[in-house]
Amino acid sequence: MPDAYTVLVADDNEVAQRLCKRVLEKAGYSVLIAADGLQAVDIALSQRPTMILMDVAMPGIDGLEAMRRIKADVPGMPIVIASAHSMSSDRERFLAAGADDVLSKPFRLADLIAIVESLARARTA
Amino acid sequence: MPFAFAAAVLAAILGVITAAASQPDYAFPIFIALVVFAAVLAGVAVATSELMRESRSAAALAERRVEQLADVERRLRATVESAGVGLGTADLHGRFLQVTDRLATVLGRGREELLQTTLADLATGNDRAAVVEALALLENGDLTRWEGEINGAAGVLLVRLPNAAADEPLLLVQVADNAARRRGEALRDCTAAVRQVVVTTTTVDQAMPQVLRAFCEHLGWSAAQHWALEPDQAAMRSKHSCNASDATLEGFLHASRGVVVTEGVGLVGRVWRSGVPAAEEELSRVADYQPATAARSAGLRSAFAFPIVQAGDVAGVIELVSRDAHSPREDEVAVLANAGVEIGQFMLRAETSHALRRSEADHRAIFERSPIGIARIGTGGDLLEANPSLLHMLEHDPETMRVTAWPELMRAYDMAAAKVRKAPFLAGLGDGSSLQLRAATGSGNWLWLQLSATSIPDASGAPEHVLVMVEDVTVVRETSDRLAEALEATRDANANLEKLDQTKSEFLSIVSHEFRTALTGIQGFSELIRDGGLESDEVRAYGGYIFNDADRVNRLIGDMLDLDRMESGRMSMRTADVDINDIVMEAISRAAPAAGAVEFKSDLDPRLPIVAGDRDRLIQVLSNLVNNAVKYSPDGGTVTLASRVDGRFALISVTDTGIGIPQDEIGHVFERFRRVRSGAAQSIPGTGLGLTIVKQIVEMHGGKIWVESALGHGSSFHFTIPLAPESANALQLRHA
Repeated sequence: MPDAYTVLVADDNEVAQRLCKRVLEKAGYSVLIAADGLQAVDIALSQRPTMILMDVAMPGIDGLEAMRRIKADVPGMPIVIASAHSMSSDRERFLAAGADDVLSKPFRLADLIAIVESLARARTA
Repeated sequence: MPFAFAAAVLAAILGVITAAASQPDYAFPIFIALVVFAAVLAGVAVATSELMRESRSAAALAERRVEQLADVERRLRATVESAGVGLGTADLHGRFLQVTDRLATVLGRGREELLQTTLADLATGNDRAAVVEALALLENGDLTRWEGEINGAAGVLLVRLPNAAADEPLLLVQVADNAARRRGEALRDCTAAVRQVVVTTTTVDQAMPQVLRAFCEHLGWSAAQHWALEPDQAAMRSKHSCNASDATLEGFLHASRGVVVTEGVGLVGRVWRSGVPAAEEELSRVADYQPATAARSAGLRSAFAFPIVQAGDVAGVIELVSRDAHSPREDEVAVLANAGVEIGQFMLRAETSHALRRSEADHRAIFERSPIGIARIGTGGDLLEANPSLLHMLEHDPETMRVTAWPELMRAYDMAAAKVRKAPFLAGLGDGSSLQLRAATGSGNWLWLQLSATSIPDASGAPEHVLVMVEDVTVVRETSDRLAEALEATRDANANLEKLDQTKSEFLSIVSHEFRTALTGIQGFSELIRDGGLESDEVRAYGGYIFNDADRVNRLIGDMLDLDRMESGRMSMRTADVDINDIVMEAISRAAPAAGAVEFKSDLDPRLPIVAGDRDRLIQVLSNLVNNAVKYSPDGGTVTLASRVDGRFALISVTDTGIGIPQDEIGHVFERFRRVRSGAAQSIPGTGLGLTIVKQIVEMHGGKIWVESALGHGSSFHFTIPLAPESANALQLRHA
């Protein structure tokens, strides 16, 4: 019952927003969009999506700060950091900051779906 | 007859007394003889008077007197027999009439044998001729006494005596053993010679050959050598030698120089170990004598060795060798042993004085020839002596140095010391005054001098004078100053490099982020299209995203390459006459279609002269600034472009009414990728390299660019481009 799952896509890049929305809706998820960190925190706390796909480099507060604030209120909220910062040390940095998983940009569409599905399934279980 | 003999002997003794008075060796026997003589004389006088007066009547008495005389004679004979010299009588032909045992011994004959011989028979060669001649002279009365030596050992005294008892006069024969006297004299001479050498020479090398020669010459040794202890004290080697014999001994001495004596081995080694003299009377019977073969070839028979004693230790051995069976008697051994001690003391003195003299000479040479300036000063700071280097260094003559230059230097020291809280020169002597100071030379050159002082104590430990080393450290000091500057520069450069390295890492991180962001759309949407199943309008829309991002990547790459070419100076400019106003208008017309709600205004000086520049690059500058102005005015507003003359420059301004730049960012807007970090501006697309490139282009033209801005109140970018030379000149004419 994928319809029950809502994914919040937080990304300042419109192209990325559209890509994720298109792919995830096609896969059966509901998609919410946030264009910056503060919006992401607002929507996450008010709409309580099943999980969040979060960019890092965003205007205002960045994705890591947004994640910190969200997790402070909703510790169990699964958050995947999706970033073009993909130097070797970045992945560890994001996980250490509390991310449930990390998706490097650019990504294969199948990877995006797999990572979202695995977190959604974990949430269900 | 016995009486006559006694009388003759008495007369002879009288002669002996007078003859031998100058020979102290005979003092005792002569004394005895005198006493006896006196007694005998008294006896004879009494006897004679008795005989004269009572010759006939007192036969018994005479008889008693004769007995008394016989007694006297016996005593006299015993005395004569016990004399230290050999005594006897002979007739005028030299035939012995009476001899004492001592005479026989001295002459090396039996008593009876002697009575069968003549004086002439005792002598050989020239001595015999001399004796024969003397006898002839004594016989005919031309001579009453003769003194001579026969066979090199026996001192003979012949005295012609009138003989009352016989017609013919007699000869008193006295023979002394000269060899013993000679040996005594030789030993004394030897000791004296050794002393003479040790007080007149200063080095062992000077003294030793002379000492060895003295041993050979005075004591009759064939050769002598000095065995010296090697520096490691493990062996002795022949160091000096003296050959008092012939060339055949040279072979022996040469062989000896090759011998290494170890303690306890051989004659020399045994003396070394025992510290007492030792003799070998038959070298052929000594198993460990070295060099044995050479000694045999040289015909050496005996050897004697005694130690050179230095402060109780054996410091060397002197070996004396002889072709004869030379066995030193006790007195000779004592003399040589003593000489060994004296030589040892001398060697010690010589070493010490040699070391002292050399040390003195060394110090003098250091003082005179040292490249370092040295001043010897009194404890009051007064200059006693300056070495040539110091005079040369400070360019003064000794007198000026002493009277003015040195006191000035001392004052300069104290002033320099005060600055660094050090003690004044004289007060700081105890803990080694040392300081660098600047001083002028006689010709006015300024030098950096390093002064350091050492106090030289006298025997009681009180400071006697002070040595001051003065080094010219000008070159060192200046070099180190320059080095410090260079080090500072290097530190700066390193800091810059570090910063550059950091910048490079940041740059890579930013560039890769930019690329990957752009690639996310390109890859994602192209994957969607590839997988098919899309509506045609979807495909078109996704193609548009892909195109835009690909274009963005392309621009990014272009900008980066441009910037790299400019920064490395590889960007060429096509300079021509350019009308700035024309370019401003073109930039507006290019930006206008995408400007949206933004309104453009221009405030151009129509008389602005042409500038020398690259038209395409200047359009790039203005387009960039105009596009920025539009981008950062999201809610519309006005962008104003102005131009005017500013001295020899054209001044162009692009002013917007947009969001402005935060104060802490203004200083960084021209840095590459700076845009990415700022907050609100992040949503505005761009490569982050635009302003960096703009600044490069302006500077390549010889102009400047700067920005004025306040957050929320827009920004104003200004840049200058130099006027073309002829324009500038024309402008000046116009103003004139």
